[in-house]
Formats: sequence, C-alpha cells, structure tokens
Amino acid sequence: MLKIKEGSLQHWAIRIVGFALLALLVIYIPTQSETARIGQFASAFTLIIAAMSLNMVLGFTGQISLGHSAFFGIGGYTAAILIRDHGWSPGYTFYAAAVIAFVVGCLIGLPVLRIRGAYLALVTLAVAVLFPTLLRWKKLEWLTDGAKGIDSVKYDDLPVWPILGELKGRDGRAVFSYWLGLLVLVIVYLVCRGLIRSRVGRSLIAIRDNETAAAVMGVNVTRTKVLIFGISASMCALAGVLATLNSGVVTPDGQFVTLLGSIIFLLIMVVGGAGTLSGPIIGGLVYVWLDNTTRGIGTDSSGVLGFVFGWTDQSPATLILGLALIVIMLFAPTGLMGLLRKLTRRIMTIIPRDISPTQ
Amino acid sequence: MSLLKTVGLRASYGQVDVLLGIDIDVSEGEMVVVLGANGAGKTTTMRAVSGTIARSGSVVFDGQEIVSQSAESIVRLGVAHVPQGRGTFSELTVEENLRIGAYIRKDSIESDIARWYETFPRLEERQNQRAGSLSGGEQQMLAIARALMSRPRLLLCDEPSLGLAPLVTQELFEVLKNLNEQDGLSVLLVEQNANLALKVASKVYLLETGQVVASGSAEAIAGDERIRKAYLGG
Repeated sequence: MLKIKEGSLQHWAIRIVGFALLALLVIYIPTQSETARIGQFASAFTLIIAAMSLNMVLGFTGQISLGHSAFFGIGGYTAAILIRDHGWSPGYTFYAAAVIAFVVGCLIGLPVLRIRGAYLALVTLAVAVLFPTLLRWKKLEWLTDGAKGIDSVKYDDLPVWPILGELKGRDGRAVFSYWLGLLVLVIVYLVCRGLIRSRVGRSLIAIRDNETAAAVMGVNVTRTKVLIFGISASMCALAGVLATLNSGVVTPDGQFVTLLGSIIFLLIMVVGGAGTLSGPIIGGLVYVWLDNTTRGIGTDSSGVLGFVFGWTDQSPATLILGLALIVIMLFAPTGLMGLLRKLTRRIMTIIPRDISPTQ
Repeated sequence: MSLLKTVGLRASYGQVDVLLGIDIDVSEGEMVVVLGANGAGKTTTMRAVSGTIARSGSVVFDGQEIVSQSAESIVRLGVAHVPQGRGTFSELTVEENLRIGAYIRKDSIESDIARWYETFPRLEERQNQRAGSLSGGEQQMLAIARALMSRPRLLLCDEPSLGLAPLVTQELFEVLKNLNEQDGLSVLLVEQNANLALKVASKVYLLETGQVVASGSAEAIAGDERIRKAYLGG
C-alpha cells in the first residue's frame, strides 16, 4: 500500500492528474457526445445541485427535509414568470429565485426547525404536498396559470460566451444548458465547501452530532438551523431555475416540483454519500444514468425485466435506486462516496500534514 | 465573593418536577461538588445553570441574573458546561472539537490549543482523529479541554468519571484539582464517586429528590456519620 504525505510531490501529482482527467471529461461530453447525452448531463447537474442543497440541511446539519421539491418549484416558477410575463433576461432570474427561496426557506424554517426527527419530516412533507396544490389554486391562477402550468418559456438571446462561440438550434441549446448547469454547479459546490470548512461548517456538524453540546459551546442552534435552511432553499431554487431554462416548461405535476422530487433528491444524496461534499455528484450521475438506461423498461418489456417491472408504465429508475439504496445501506452505509474512499484507502493513504500549533 | 448563586431554582421535564427549589452557592476560585443518588436532580441542576433546560427561580452569575438567558449567551458570560456523557462531536476531529470550544471567541486560540495539548498529551497524539474513535477517557479529556477553550470562569463538570477506569478517573480529577488550585478556575462538579469528589472539593451539596438535604465543607460532610452511611458506603 502506498503512503503519501499531504502536500508532497506525489500528492500534488495525484491531484493534478485527477483534475486533468476530470477537466478532459467535462470538455469531452459537450463537444463529442450526441445532443441527447449532453442534455442528460445538463439535467443531472440540476439534480446534483438540488441534492447538494439538501445535503447541507440533512447531511451536514442532521435536519431532515422532505420539502425541498417546493424550493425547486419556487425557483422554476420564478424563472418562468419573470421571463415570460416580465421579459427578464434569464440570467437575472437566478438572483431573484435565490432571494425569494431564501426568504421563504427562512420563514418556513423559523417555526418548523424547532421540531425534530420524524415530526420535522412530517411537517416538511406537508410543505411538499401543499406546494403543487397552491400552484393550482384558482386565486393564484393569474400568477401560476393553474393546473396547466407555464409552458413556452422562451428566451431567444443565447449569450455568446467566449471560446464556445455562437450556439444555435437544438444542439446549441443543449450545449448551453450543459455549460450553464456546470457553472452553477461549480459555484454551489464551492459555496458548500467554503461553508463546511469554516467555523459555520463546524457548528453545523456539531448540531448534527449533539445539539445540546453545540448550544453550550455558544452556537445559536435555532438561528444556525434557520439560516442554513434558507441558504439550502436558495441553492435548490437555482436548480429549479436551471430546470425551467433547460425544458422551457414548468407545471404543478412536474416530477421535481412534487413530493417525488424531494424523495429523488434524498435518494441521490444518500446513495452518493450524505454528509460528504462530492457524494451528491456521484449520486446524481448514477441516478440520471439509471433513469435513462431503465426508461425503456416497463409495460412492453419482455423476459425477466418485463416480469419484474411490467406493471409500471413509468421509468423504474426511482424504484431501482430505492432497491440500490437498500443494498448500499447494507454494504456501504456512507454511500458510494464512502465506498470509494474505502477502496482508495486499500491502495493508498494520504497522511495529513502535521498541524500542531507551534508558536 | 459569590460567583454563582442559585435561589429556589426549579425545573421540570414535562409534568414531572425534578428540581424543587435548589439553593447553591459557588464562590470565586472554589471547587464545589454536588452529590446524590440517581434521579436526585444533579444533572438537571447543571443544565438549569447552563441554560439547556427551561427553569425558574433565580440564577445569579457574577452579579447578573441569567435564569432567563439562552445557553449560547450564558457561555459567553463565562460558564462552560461539560455535559454528562461527554457530548464530544464524534464526526469532527479532536482539533476541530477544540476549535468549536472556542466558538464564542474572536481572538487567537492557537496558544490555548497548545496549552491543552500539553495538559492532555494524548489529545495531541490524536489531533487529526475523529473524536468518535477515541476511548471513553480520551473523550472525557477532550470534553473538558473543549470546554476550557472558551476560557470560562466557571466550569460545570457533569460526572466526568462516568464509565471510566479508576486510574483514568484519578488522572482527570488531578487535572481538575490543578486547574482549580493553580489557575483559580471555579468548578461545580457533579459526581457519583463521592469518596474521590470529597478529596478535591471544598464544599459539598447533597441532593435528594430535587432538594438540597445537606451542605457544608467537605470535611464536615465526610465526617458526618449519617451521611457516610447513606452515601459513602460506611
């Protein structure tokens, strides 16, 4: 087994090679793949962002939320309404959605986060169930267009980005969605990483590990929980904006706007690795891959697959992921990320730098 | 001078009254121990002082009424609480635990970390390990060092000997005694191990079903035949 010191030449070499491979892959996909594949990655990015936002609340702070589909929906609707009805340029809707979702998140979090465990799950579940009903409400139809939702969210002015050049048509739109999604994903990832590695992050994990002990350390538990819930809500809304920009449609029945969305975010987060920064990335890619490879399975399948999944006319990805979840929880309780770490540890260990305080 | 004074301190869990009016007095630089059987209200007394439970009555710390203050503001006044069962953050490393102990401080904490590593060398050896991977004794040391990171004037220490080997317990009490005698740290200690506690403490309160039934100097309590029989095993 290799032993590598943190900050040593080998360690940097591994980092650089890893980063180069990642960069190659990231560039390879939108330039060499077919349009459909590029689109799949774009939608994976939105789900990863949503799962990352949930991870901040559930994975790191230990507060369960089944209401994140509502924040996803708030983002999606904010973008749709501002672009279609008010002629906003798509880029600015990100800011608006983030602010609105932050305020709504804090307002919901303020009373809700005083409750714990299963009760918190139930109350946030109510939020998720209530949200699509609210969208269909007659008195809000002037804003949300009721049950039929807002379609044809059009924006013709695809910005001309450096290097990428002018993007046109269906292909151009997919490539644009890909890069935009990746940009937002990287920003959200860096924000999460910055938060987790700071004093704030330590207080989040402290709350998760032992709330009372965190309070006697001087952590304002309620305020911290509410703030992280608000931040998480606004991150999830960014994912919603991306989804609307990608598809041009948002309806109250949209998969990720309903409770199912919350469950999918949860699955992605747990399968990838709750409480790890990169877990949602792996989880999201696995989910979208499964979703697309299993989409054809269903009513008209034959053989074993038809026998197992013949009763459903939907993509069985969620079901398979649910089953995968059980298997993963049995063999890798810390998710795929935990499994990956365990496997790399068999090959090599990174010895942390000596950080004893010297003065 | 009185640093902490509770008068008629009451607390309850739901319908059950646990503290029925506790009067405790801790002077500056004093080590006071609270003894009592299980369910007497020792831990609740500590939690009522540190603000981690709803309570009524009066708690005066350093001349200030704190009975209606929140836990996070009480620690800012200089009261550090080492909760029962240690309450270390198992997913954080030893060093991160120490850093969060200084959560309320804005000044440099590196010299404090170095100081507690010196006091507890085993913590320094394990500085990058997750706290959850430490032994019970090490976790207790970490919990105490973490509490001290806030530079408290009063340390609330809830049953540090719980589940520890006698030798480790002795070592911990030695540290507490030194902190009290050399640094002048005031300590309010809850203990089941009465014999050990009486050796380090100067004043003793005896709790029984939510009330103080006896109090006095450690010598007086240790010499009281009746109390010896009931609490010290003859």
